[in-house]
Amino acid sequence: MTAFRTVVLEHFRRPRNRGPLADAHASAEGANPLCGDRIRVQLRTDHGVISDVGFTADACAVCIASASVLTEHVRGMRLDDARSVDVTWIHRSLEGAPPPGRARCAQLPLETMHRALDMLHGAT
Amino acid sequence: MATHDVVDHLDLLSDDAAVTLATLVAASGSTSKKVGAKMVVGASGRLVGGVTIGGCVDAQLIEAADEIVASGGRRLLSISLDDDEAFEIGLTCGGTVEVLLDRIAPRQGHDVITAAHRAAHAALESGHAAVIVTPLDGGAAALVVTETGVRHGSLGDSSIDAAAATIAADALHRGSRVDAVEGRRLFFDRLAPPMTLVIVGAGQIAMSLTRMARELEMRSVVVDGRERYATPERFPDADEIRVGMPSDIVGEIVPNQRVAVLLVAHDYKYELPVLRKLLRSPVGYIGMLGSKKRGAAVRDLLRDEGFTDDELGRIHTPIGLDLGGKSPPEVALSILAEVVAVRSGKRA
Repeated sequence: MTAFRTVVLEHFRRPRNRGPLADAHASAEGANPLCGDRIRVQLRTDHGVISDVGFTADACAVCIASASVLTEHVRGMRLDDARSVDVTWIHRSLEGAPPPGRARCAQLPLETMHRALDMLHGAT
Repeated sequence: MATHDVVDHLDLLSDDAAVTLATLVAASGSTSKKVGAKMVVGASGRLVGGVTIGGCVDAQLIEAADEIVASGGRRLLSISLDDDEAFEIGLTCGGTVEVLLDRIAPRQGHDVITAAHRAAHAALESGHAAVIVTPLDGGAAALVVTETGVRHGSLGDSSIDAAAATIAADALHRGSRVDAVEGRRLFFDRLAPPMTLVIVGAGQIAMSLTRMARELEMRSVVVDGRERYATPERFPDADEIRVGMPSDIVGEIVPNQRVAVLLVAHDYKYELPVLRKLLRSPVGYIGMLGSKKRGAAVRDLLRDEGFTDDELGRIHTPIGLDLGGKSPPEVALSILAEVVAVRSGKRA
């Protein structure tokens, strides 16, 4: 089994930060319309820092693993730093890029988190 | 139109000043209809619904119903299904049916039978079962007891009403039956909202399921995360189409024994989150498309999360009775056959 698959399956079986976040300051939902992945990312902030983060998803293993590593990474991070997280970082964390045709699965949580961050930006 | 929903029947015959309502109140032997089945015979000769398998028995009923529309009153008919010649050559199943015939005037506000059915209809529309209690002798009277405990009407005596309400509460769970209260034979007619199929995954099997569900008088709700799949064009027969996160949507549906959830997306991204919501809920049926191997893998994953074997045993997978068909309509047929079997308490 490749390192990528090992990491993805481990996070899929034990996703970090999965579940709705009470009293979230921002919540965004994203979907891959053709494959059907759906994810909601929720953030709580405190003085410009992500104090808590959670996600809810009806999504494939790659998407859930991506959300899991991403939310672990950004908890405690300054908002501006979280905005600069990109898909290369996701691939590195998953120890590889997804196979052809699955790139959107890994990207969706990141795009959704960025939209949640934009909502916070709009609110301030 | 639900077979047992008299209000729908009456609406179809709204031009008629009077009609006869025929209700199957008891059956022995082998009959094709369940107790509670109804037929409305209009003064114009039109028929809606049915209480028996047809043929000579229906002819007797219609003849009696025509008389009642013309002359008024009510009658309890007992009819043998053992047609002599047919019995000899084995072409009858045998048995006896009792059918209550009531003349009703749907457009008259004081008609007690119409009022009772309208009260029950309102309960059904809000998703609750109801029992209409009517005497099998004497004049027309009706008491309605709903699943929420609301009562409408009366049988004309408060002590009979109280005793009948207790039996009605039991009939809400056990089904229609005849019972006696203070020496009077009463019919307890249980009316339940239609079964709801929650179909997760808007593919071809789901399309077939919605078409067949309509024929089976089941409500269908199609759920998917993909707007391009879950469309009215693809699902003209669906009662409801919901696009969003399937586990959220399934979580919003009030779970009860009349809900069957059919996981036909063949995609764990929907199956696992939906199953997490369902396995500890009282839905009547949970089925999942996929091979035995795939079903075992899903169960293993959920077992790791703390679900018990009893909870996991509720998942019917591979979904459907093994009829051998492979095309989407054939698979849909096998799924609905299993849903009906489970609902009827048969081993599936």
